Amino acid sequence: MKGHDKTLKAEQYANDDTRLLRALLDAAVDAIIVIDRYGLILTFNRAAEHMFGYQADEVLGQNVKQLMPEPYQSEHDVYLHQYQITRQAKIIGIGREVMARHKDGTLFSVKLSVGEAGDHVNGYFVGILHDLTGLRQVEGELYKQQQRMVHFSRLGVLGEMTAGIAHEINQPLTAISTYAEACARLIKNKGYKAAEIAEILELIRAQALRAGEVIRRLRDLAVQHDSERCETDLNKLIIEVVKLAGVDAHLNDIKIITDLESRLPLVIVDSVQIQQVLLNLIRNAIDAMTDAGPEKNTIVIRSNKISPEMIEISVIDQGHGIADEMVDKLFEPFHSSKAHGMGIGLSISRTIITSHGGSLKFESIPGQGATFKFCLPSIPELLTGVD
Amino acid sequence: MTYSNATIFIIDDDQAVRHALSLLIKSVGLTFSAFASAQEFLQHYTPELSGCLVLDIRMPGMSGLDLQQQLNKMGSTLPIIFITGHGDVPMAVEAIRHGALDFLQKPFRDQDLLDRINDALEQDAGNRQHMVEQQSILSRIASLTPREREVMDMVVNGSANKVIAIDLNLSQRTVEIHRARVMEKMQARSLAQLVKLVMRATDDQ
Repeated sequence: MKGHDKTLKAEQYANDDTRLLRALLDAAVDAIIVIDRYGLILTFNRAAEHMFGYQADEVLGQNVKQLMPEPYQSEHDVYLHQYQITRQAKIIGIGREVMARHKDGTLFSVKLSVGEAGDHVNGYFVGILHDLTGLRQVEGELYKQQQRMVHFSRLGVLGEMTAGIAHEINQPLTAISTYAEACARLIKNKGYKAAEIAEILELIRAQALRAGEVIRRLRDLAVQHDSERCETDLNKLIIEVVKLAGVDAHLNDIKIITDLESRLPLVIVDSVQIQQVLLNLIRNAIDAMTDAGPEKNTIVIRSNKISPEMIEISVIDQGHGIADEMVDKLFEPFHSSKAHGMGIGLSISRTIITSHGGSLKFESIPGQGATFKFCLPSIPELLTGVD
Repeated sequence: MTYSNATIFIIDDDQAVRHALSLLIKSVGLTFSAFASAQEFLQHYTPELSGCLVLDIRMPGMSGLDLQQQLNKMGSTLPIIFITGHGDVPMAVEAIRHGALDFLQKPFRDQDLLDRINDALEQDAGNRQHMVEQQSILSRIASLTPREREVMDMVVNGSANKVIAIDLNLSQRTVEIHRARVMEKMQARSLAQLVKLVMRATDDQ
């Protein structure tokens, strides 16, 4: 009798457990999907049905990969197989943002965390998926706003450089027009040699390319682009920016010197944005030095590996330094000490550097100059070819 | 063009512009000399140079404007044609105020530049002619005795011989002799010509 009671009680508990488990699965806000070690779906809760548009009956026993877009769909079986052998987890126990595929084919982003249960032979995997779409929409709007602001500010910096840029384009145009005129006159004078004309034509071509190069550099910065981060050699980036800002400096009788660390590790950045920051800092340095006197005419741009995973870029000027009353407001938007400045350059620069996982700082000795430095995380194992 | 010793001095820090201008000037049969900086030209400069300057207004180190002012201080009369970039109009106005012949905005019509060079050479030749004449008049004046000089100044001021004689306490006859010597030494055939010579000698001194 007693034994019978015990069995009843156990059954009741077991039933309760199943009911509780069912309640737990159905009440969960996040989608819960359990698969076996071959990837076949064992459990598909109500939130999952809602999220993916499938009824549980439609997917139970099916391979989970149909809920993923390519290339993950094709690779998933291999992942599972490899995991059985190597036990090297790519996602299990970690969790990350992935794209998921709705029944109607649309893709949406989710935060996926995966846990492993059971033993080696009868193991299964529990996936919990949190929908990020709603969150993303808000973030996306903010992000777009910020990108517009960044672009706006970049155009502002370029606007300040108009005189220098126009000069830089006018020089080759002047040379081209004058070379062409000389050519025409030589031909009219009859006494010309074909080789002489060919030589001048070659010079014209070189000057046209020179003008084109200025425009290319400009276009890269002026065009609004989708933020794209890729492996970048900061030394090369510095050289490119110095070419662009150099004219402006030159017109103001200022030299830009680079002091670059050789074998600088690469960084993963949006290179247009980092160019923008550097350009901004150089522009500020030029402005700070325009009436500093003839012996103070050098801007130094230095790259340094300050730790195995951090690179620091410094822009050192010999200008008037930063006035005490500006120090606290320096990075606040719309505070400017310049007659025509909008005062968003430094604030945008800091936003850009921070979003790259770095920081932007400055040191200033009034009357002697200011140094602005930013650091960016590097990829330690990859080295650039610069010697 | 007939300005035998005239040289076009091209001063521009941009190698390509400098070279193209040299070729253009060579193609019309003029002599040129090109310099990459204002300092480089100053080292080369002597008062005997004739011709004109084609000068870039913006250059690192010494600007075109600085060079113009330096040359003015040194008494140079070489005409200057400025070539200017974008947005240099205020500087160009400054240059004109200091006596520049003209300014051309880059990129310019080459015919315009050649025309201005022609004007400049004409002006320089005129200046030089004027200077030679002035020198000659000044040396004639220098050959006068102090007394003759006194008499000439009074004659030119319109005083009659009688008045000069009284003022200088001389006999009228002596004044007439001095006056004749002045006309001879100054190579003037009439009073009007003498007045003109004296005015030219003191012109922009």
